[in-house]
Amino acid sequence: MIKNVLVSVSGSPNSLMATKYAICLARVMQTKLFVVYVIDSKVLNELLKSRIFVEAEARAYERDLEQQGKVFLERIKKMADSRAVACETFLLRGSVSEEVINKINEVNADMLVMGEMKELTSRSAAFYDEGERIFRKSPCSVVMVKNHAMVENLYKELV
Amino acid sequence: MKLTDFLRPEFCLMDLKAGNKEAAIKELTSVLLPSGKVNDKEDFIKHIMERERLGSTGIGNHVAIPHAPTQSVNGLVVAFGRSMEGLDFQSLDGDEVNLIFLLGTNPQELGTYLKFLATLSRLLNNRQFREEFMTADSPAALIEVLKKHEKS
Repeated sequence: MIKNVLVSVSGSPNSLMATKYAICLARVMQTKLFVVYVIDSKVLNELLKSRIFVEAEARAYERDLEQQGKVFLERIKKMADSRAVACETFLLRGSVSEEVINKINEVNADMLVMGEMKELTSRSAAFYDEGERIFRKSPCSVVMVKNHAMVENLYKELV
Repeated sequence: MKLTDFLRPEFCLMDLKAGNKEAAIKELTSVLLPSGKVNDKEDFIKHIMERERLGSTGIGNHVAIPHAPTQSVNGLVVAFGRSMEGLDFQSLDGDEVNLIFLLGTNPQELGTYLKFLATLSRLLNNRQFREEFMTADSPAALIEVLKKHEKS
């Protein structure tokens, strides 16, 4: 029996759609919903190391991303509340894929919901794409949300 | 992240006329204007120059990536310029700069911006990529180089 659903979000339109679908699933299956937003400090550090960023700049971006993450998670919490779904949110920092996988294990998630991934241009792009890594390394089953119109309808009908 | 979704032939200058950093940034900004994605040219340049004052974005290997988030652009904008003679960009390695990538982003698109910069940075570590960018003979050829290395 599925008890815990986890959705990984980035603030993008695709991840918002994934969240709506995850709320629908959690409501129908009577499960708890965990929402994870990761501040990608790995890429910030990579840009610092390559000297494209200076320290003060990287920290400023980190603060901005944290603020955006907080706003997005608050929005999701309200969305879940409005559909009577128990929801817990996490604002993390680090490598996106590692943090999401760790959280899946920590909360014993049975299902991971993700937004649709963009087409990859190469094998090296696949190596660096965090969504791809999460998809492949997830210890639980993964649902990738694709049909946005259908999801919007499901979410609207869930009142 | 596909860089070619953002860098298009019309945003590429094969032979910059500018003789210094600020002039190059202004020249590159001008190629972005027809796209309509820069809604305040002066404010955009101001933000880019403010970032340069924190430290040069001339990162070595004859490359500079001036960049800044600002409300004066919609989405992510990218222009490329090549200076055959080389420009003094106060680069970290002291060398002149030949390849300049100018980036601006609306603060709402920070995630995309960071991914773009990280992908570009990885490509620019490749000597062959830099050499092919130096020798490409047209904006279309530049984009083909970019596509080829994105796929490799």
